[in-house]
Amino acid sequence: MPPNSRIPPLLQPFVRTPKNDSLLLLTSTLDASANWLLTRFLCDALGSGAKDDDNGGPKNVVLVSWMRDYEGRLAFVDGLSELFLPIEHDDGVAQQRPQNLPTTPTGMPATRGPQTLPVRGPPGRTAPTTAQASPRTPTTPPGLFTLSSTSLDHINDTISTAIASLRPSTAATKTLVILDNPDILLATDPNLTPSKQTSLFLSLHTQKSVSHVLVHLQSDLALLATPEKPSPLQIAQQNLVVKTAHMSTKVLGVRLLDTGVARDVSGVLRVTVNRDSWADIATVRDQEDGGAVQAPEEKGIEVLYKVNGDGSVKVFERGTGGTA
Amino acid sequence: MAFRKRNVALARPPAESPASETPSSPASNPIATAPAPGTRPSPIDGRPTTSTGTPSLDSILAGHAGLSLGNSLLIGESGTTDYAGALLRFYAAEGVVQGHKVHVVGMGEVWGRELPGIAEEKDKRKEGKERAEKMKIAWRYEGLGAHGSSRERGSPFPSTGDAAADEAAVFCHTFDLARRLTLPVGSAIDYVPIPRTSSSPFTEILRTLQKHIARSPPDSIHRLVIPSLLSPALYPPTASHPAVILPFLHGLRALLRKYSTRLTAIMTLPLTLYPRSSGVVRWMEILSDGVFELSPFPYSHHESLATSAGTTKDEERPQGMFAVHKLPVFHERGGGGSTEGLGEELAFTLSRRKFVVAKFSLPPLEGDTEAQEAAVREASGNAMPRKEDLEF
Repeated sequence: MPPNSRIPPLLQPFVRTPKNDSLLLLTSTLDASANWLLTRFLCDALGSGAKDDDNGGPKNVVLVSWMRDYEGRLAFVDGLSELFLPIEHDDGVAQQRPQNLPTTPTGMPATRGPQTLPVRGPPGRTAPTTAQASPRTPTTPPGLFTLSSTSLDHINDTISTAIASLRPSTAATKTLVILDNPDILLATDPNLTPSKQTSLFLSLHTQKSVSHVLVHLQSDLALLATPEKPSPLQIAQQNLVVKTAHMSTKVLGVRLLDTGVARDVSGVLRVTVNRDSWADIATVRDQEDGGAVQAPEEKGIEVLYKVNGDGSVKVFERGTGGTA
Repeated sequence: MAFRKRNVALARPPAESPASETPSSPASNPIATAPAPGTRPSPIDGRPTTSTGTPSLDSILAGHAGLSLGNSLLIGESGTTDYAGALLRFYAAEGVVQGHKVHVVGMGEVWGRELPGIAEEKDKRKEGKERAEKMKIAWRYEGLGAHGSSRERGSPFPSTGDAAADEAAVFCHTFDLARRLTLPVGSAIDYVPIPRTSSSPFTEILRTLQKHIARSPPDSIHRLVIPSLLSPALYPPTASHPAVILPFLHGLRALLRKYSTRLTAIMTLPLTLYPRSSGVVRWMEILSDGVFELSPFPYSHHESLATSAGTTKDEERPQGMFAVHKLPVFHERGGGGSTEGLGEELAFTLSRRKFVVAKFSLPPLEGDTEAQEAAVREASGNAMPRKEDLEF
């Protein structure tokens, strides 16, 4: 099986991280989740082996998720488990763990991961489908870090530790940092401001080993549209999304069909390339090939997609009827 | 020489041992234990699911034929009716009957005493007819129905007093809203009060829940019921602030993922007070795994009269629209609007012993005689040919 058979060919240029260091933005809505796209990014970053040297081969990946729990195989910063859940100190927690596991210092059983996988993730890994504890690593998962506070300093430190933990592989390997739904912080903590959060994105991006930062935000109309009396929540979210979009070199938006729900289309994927990006901040290096923009990944595109029940995805252009 | 006939598909063993259905390799799963009572593996990927107590809601849940454990549902309802509350009662009653631990937030024992009882066994004929009707309405889910019904039909419909083995075989009971469930001794329902504190009441609720679950035996299944979340009658006014309610739902999501084989949750939300277009509600929906919306029809006498001629007699009038905004597990994969049920126009009907969600279709208009004739003809099974067909 070729490593990228899960990525539709039409999508291939867009889930590949760009040549230059960059900040990417991915937006999604309630009805049209972007999980499938995130996992395709993971697929490409982890498994792109020697298939091209354009983007520097496989990358280190740090996935920071505020919505999902641990999946293994990459450095994972868990922003779900202990952020708002009070930590249980008595021994009741330890009792319910599978017996073959020692208690993990992060307070999380390591064996729950595969069951709640969004899709079957990177190739070569099959998702066990039962609730049983699979006999995986009986030790603490090496790349698991847990966030326990909404303070941005704490988050920055934790993510930096996670990045540093991946360094030893090879010096040349670049790191892709994926921030999955950091906007929940903005919604839950009134002391945060959108600008503080965007500066977190940028400060992560300026770290030496980090080449790409992919930010996934919600762009539901209910969170963005400002009616006559917008709530502070909506103002902050809109502020954050617009700011990040302006800083990003590429914006991938996933939404439902504008005309309503269709049986053979799950939604629309819109890719917008920000050619005159904030060059100094978003792309640290010079853009040498500013003139030649005809490569497919340098143009914007709008395609339809259909996610099947088994997690496979079909991507096709408007009007081609999904036969591609 | 092969002992097996060629070109014959391998039949599944008729003995419905649930472990054999789980499509997992024995290597990765050396100890295949039987699922806890009231759970069964999903026909799609084998993850454990449990029933919501409402068969047609089970069938909507992205083909898993049940609510997969570790997931939550948010049911919004606009208006002053309490159809969603009926769904919650079925869910809680199913949990009690199956021996699950039911946690109810913010309600007293009165709520628990009003849970619907199991429908009586004596009118089995009626029950069978109902099931046939259910199959007809949900013809799109026929495959799924077959998955569940093979087992349900195989076993006798048990009453509360039957052996535990029989109980386990039934995935979803039929309840009767007019009857009262007799609660087993030993407090089947755990009532979680809403603390009257000046700070967030939810921290305490989460802590209580976590303690309960952590201290219970590791194979127990828990159901969390949160009726009318954020309703001002139950919750302090500060509860609807994003910095209060969203951490709770985030923490609840973490709890569900932590006990992803033991806990499910259903909550209802009054949409009239908290419209879906507001940012807080949207975040609440994003943090939940499944989102449904009930919009009951306004009641009018004229409409109830208008149904007299056109519609078939045994078909009940829908009482409102049922919208699916998000489905558990399915949306984790990123799907949207492509599975059965999603994006369809669905309507619900609540009667004494069932809550049915079915495809919505308008009855023909009163003045539209042609359509009415067609409807009657359809109902009578095409026995009556049209007038034009008879005249030459």
